[in-house]
Amino acid sequence: MIAVESAGLSDVGKKRKGNEDSLYLDDELGIYVVADGMGGHQAGEVASGLVVQTMQDYMNRIRSADAAEELVDIDQSLSKEANRLLSSIHLSNRVVYQMSNNKASYQGMGSTVAAVLFTSDTVISANVGDSPIYLIRGDEVTNLSVSHTVMAEQMALNPDADRQFGNRFAHMLTRAMGIDRTVRPDSCELVCFKGDHIVLASDGLTDKVGPEEIRDVVASNTPKDSCRKLVDMANERGGDDNITLVVLEVKKVQGKKSGIMEWISRLFK
Amino acid sequence: MPTLTLKFKKDSAKIKEYRLERGQSLTLGRRESNDIVIENLAVSGHHAKIDWTGNGFLLTDLKSKNGTFVNDQLAISHWLKDGDVVTIGKHILEFKYAAGETQPQGEDTEAMGETMVMDTGKYRSMLAKNVSTMAPQGGQQEQLGVLSYLSGGEGEVDLTKKLTKIGKNASSDIVVSGLTVGQTAATVSKRPDGYYLSYVSGMSKPRVNGESVKESLQLKQFDVIEIGSAKMQLIFKS
Repeated sequence: MIAVESAGLSDVGKKRKGNEDSLYLDDELGIYVVADGMGGHQAGEVASGLVVQTMQDYMNRIRSADAAEELVDIDQSLSKEANRLLSSIHLSNRVVYQMSNNKASYQGMGSTVAAVLFTSDTVISANVGDSPIYLIRGDEVTNLSVSHTVMAEQMALNPDADRQFGNRFAHMLTRAMGIDRTVRPDSCELVCFKGDHIVLASDGLTDKVGPEEIRDVVASNTPKDSCRKLVDMANERGGDDNITLVVLEVKKVQGKKSGIMEWISRLFK
Repeated sequence: MPTLTLKFKKDSAKIKEYRLERGQSLTLGRRESNDIVIENLAVSGHHAKIDWTGNGFLLTDLKSKNGTFVNDQLAISHWLKDGDVVTIGKHILEFKYAAGETQPQGEDTEAMGETMVMDTGKYRSMLAKNVSTMAPQGGQQEQLGVLSYLSGGEGEVDLTKKLTKIGKNASSDIVVSGLTVGQTAATVSKRPDGYYLSYVSGMSKPRVNGESVKESLQLKQFDVIEIGSAKMQLIFKS
């Protein structure tokens, strides 16, 4: 069992009129999602809202009827829970895709998604687009997400790519929700420890506040205060985009006792 | 509307002329199901395609065996311009806009400050122009980690799963024995930046290169992992 303290906050920022980000937190199911929409005329809002809503509906349906579970595009390299999370992403991709094809004003809309799901003993992360998922463990900040931008993919092949491409491509995504009939999320699953922090964010935060700064804030504040402080920092530095984040702190990890420990603890009961 | 004129070798008579419509896609290949069928063994079944992308016609090679050439240059993808000569096998296709027709710009120069999604075809085309040392089709090669037994077992275990469980429990991916080893003693996670070993349960902690792991550790090539009865080494295969 993993106990998590969570908080989330979404802010319109200083420059944009509307907020195209969406977020979803459910402590009971242990699922946390940030989605950053794009597409003019409120379509971005619709796209990220649909992503979050569809994932929520899917997870709730599983909770209410565990037997009637239908998994989409099962990946054998993943656990059952990870397949669930990915299924919810595949499903919401289809929903956004269909909606954008059915209504002219929604054409071309899309969204990123960054999601984590806690199981009884692990945490699973999954993402599409450039909304990061940071794991903060002690002094170390690592990325659980893979950034699907032209720049990131080029840098992986050629470290000098940033000089060749320039800023034009910094925000150009190579994958997003709702653009194609199918989508390929990146995911990973890992064991977590007491004191770990996980931060999901839209680029409105991470363009303004670096990973180390985020680490320093979450290390010394409660998740709720961290959200407020980080949003304020991004706004003080211009607030050019919508700012959305979820901060999670692992409070307790209780593994199943096994082997000799189980035997000993039974002895002393 | 532009036309494609099919010929066998450069100066021979035209075999056929095809009109390209804006908003439509065309496929080229040896099979009957293509829009432009070229019956020659040097041509792949599905050799290439041409898509209208809203701002031009994009030629994409469909990983054909003998390649697609534009003006004698090998092309993975290419924005067709007036006068381009596409070579497939020994056949050539001349791409021409009608006289006086407005010709779209291949690449748009709109502001890109906002987040947007890149058209895959356009992406490839840009890469072909900008990155000479790139692998074809932008394929990123993932390194597969393999745990190879040094003792306590035989053979090797591919780390293809996102989470590989190691422990005493029979359902573990790697089953090890030992009185103080946990049901799930440790896991190996495949993360964007590599493989991580984490301790999970049991009195004895896993050891990497002799050091006991209390929480989590990124694994490097040739690291030696000891858990209970098993001693294994991590090797990367590309």
